[in-house]
Amino acid sequence: MNIRLIDCESTTAAGINMHALREAIKDQRSGLRPNDYPGADIDTWIGRIPEVDDLDLGIWQSRNNALAALGFQQGTIARTLSEQVKRFSARRVGIVMGSSTSSIDRTELAYTDLTADGLLKPQYQQANIHNPHSPSLFVAHYTGVTGPAMTINTACSSSAKVFATAARWLYSDIVDAVLVGGVDTLCLSVLHGFDSLQLLSPQACRPFDQHRDGINLGEACGYAVLMRATDVEQDAGKDTGIAFSGYGESSDAYHMSHPHPEGLGAKLAMEQALRMAKLVPEDIGYINLHGTSSQANDLIEGRLIASIFPRSTQCSSTKGWMGHTLGAAGITEALIAVEALRNNLIPGSMNLSELDERLDFSIQAGNQQCELRHVMSNSFGFGGNNCCLAFSKVAV
Amino acid sequence: MGRLSCKVVAFGAWGLGFQDWPGLQGLLRGGELVMGAISGPKPDIIPANERRRAPLPVRLAVESSWQATQAAGLDPKDLSCVFVSGIGDTQLTDYMCKMLASDNKQLSPTKFHNSVHNAAAGYWTISTGCMKAANSVAGFGESVPLALLEAIVQCVHENTPVLITFYDSPSSMILEGLLKNDQSFSVSMVIVPLDNEKEGKVMSAKVDTHAVAWPEIDLPANLRHYYATNPAARILPLLDRFVSNSDLGAEAFSLSLPLSAESSITLTVI
Repeated sequence: MNIRLIDCESTTAAGINMHALREAIKDQRSGLRPNDYPGADIDTWIGRIPEVDDLDLGIWQSRNNALAALGFQQGTIARTLSEQVKRFSARRVGIVMGSSTSSIDRTELAYTDLTADGLLKPQYQQANIHNPHSPSLFVAHYTGVTGPAMTINTACSSSAKVFATAARWLYSDIVDAVLVGGVDTLCLSVLHGFDSLQLLSPQACRPFDQHRDGINLGEACGYAVLMRATDVEQDAGKDTGIAFSGYGESSDAYHMSHPHPEGLGAKLAMEQALRMAKLVPEDIGYINLHGTSSQANDLIEGRLIASIFPRSTQCSSTKGWMGHTLGAAGITEALIAVEALRNNLIPGSMNLSELDERLDFSIQAGNQQCELRHVMSNSFGFGGNNCCLAFSKVAV
Repeated sequence: MGRLSCKVVAFGAWGLGFQDWPGLQGLLRGGELVMGAISGPKPDIIPANERRRAPLPVRLAVESSWQATQAAGLDPKDLSCVFVSGIGDTQLTDYMCKMLASDNKQLSPTKFHNSVHNAAAGYWTISTGCMKAANSVAGFGESVPLALLEAIVQCVHENTPVLITFYDSPSSMILEGLLKNDQSFSVSMVIVPLDNEKEGKVMSAKVDTHAVAWPEIDLPANLRHYYATNPAARILPLLDRFVSNSDLGAEAFSLSLPLSAESSITLTVI
């Protein structure tokens, strides 16, 4: 593949922007806190972003859109996008957003405040919000991009798959640049939904630990601008030297909310990403694992990693920093892997004190400095939907 | 950009007034509605224990998907898939939001996992043993052209047969004022790369950087309501051209559909 990532930004409980996230990773400082989400009386920890509460987007308002706006205000992502809009025109730029909740937080709120006849009050009559395409509709409006805008909703693989779709759009010359993104906010649906599945931990999550007892939910927004390498090379000053080198997409064909017991779907996705990147397992220096801290995911994913990758491939789950951010997890963790690649700093698997005794692969709690050339990121979602991404360093 | 070309091999369809693709073709030729069950189809391909729990949009999508793959003579295991719904499962949204607005917020775990937008893709791949890439996309009013684009790009770029399913079921009462759909509609298409041995009409797609309006087509009265209200039924202009084209002989046609504020997709079928 010949696609470059020319800029990116991340907003999570661990840091409002990439700079803050970098510091939080370096200092091993988690953004998780005991659950204080209004109206959700559940004994768990969450990764909440308080700054979202301060935004009001008027007719576009939903917590999810507010986070999408907050995320777009960070770092240089808006400037980078506007440069590409100037260079190619707004019509030749695309948007692909991933989300699992879209703006259901707003629908939840509207239902707590219906008219006496049981209908939506005027302030909630937002057709563009109460539908699953809300994130892309809003981001197109907010950024002024007028090219194709599509939303991918494949639960927790949503914003990993945005990279695959964007790469195909670029290869097919449908657009000249793509703003890919992922955004998901905490809301009652997911807090009570995961509680109904008995998957929430009453403490800070401990992915891959022998004593892990469930997941923490978080909210996040992430963006990246992708372009064809040939277009980036004409503008050498902009080249970050980060290539999006491969992806794999697959299905488990097993169960709606339980992963395939042998991780067959996940294996297909990882093998496909390696093949596309023309790499072998030995080439991969770091993998950001899906690592939700659930019993099933971590056991299956850990065994699979041990069966495919050598000990020289270092792995971690970074959900101890911001929780499982669902539809935004794909891009959040892809960007953490990209950060590792840029800085040669592998984030540890926070809160790991004793590796699950059934597992044997390279994972440790502490960060480590290591020269990296190729990294990967795994995302697996409900419905058995898997996506694996590979990023590589290229000479600039 | 150049043209992206594939072959259209087969269709599947289920709506309240038609139960298969021949039935929908009949309506496109001005035929009478053949009413199905309001509760929707019950596709046998979904294992019995899962079928009981499968919500209406999922059963709609799986029914037309199964019909299309059967008509294509292809094993669903060999097809990547793209599912799209414009408004999602608003009955489940309604259930969840009512529960969450009440004092008892204990959700049903099955209803929660069914509430993901990719429930149809999940049930489909589980029912058929398909381990290929499954996409579930959303485009609200532009769901049909965006899903067509996604599927054609995937077919050409990944060199794989693709199943595309457009489906929408009636809105919940509270959201109906905004999302006006009041009927079930699902259509599936199977497309294959040009060098695939399956026979089909060649369809090519081109994305242009200008806006177009939705085509004002002269649909038979029985289908106008679907087209006006159901986001998935915006596939009808393309189907109408397919049917009238084959009725009139092998004449080629082009159809432009809106993708976004300043982009559109033109489909040419020869």
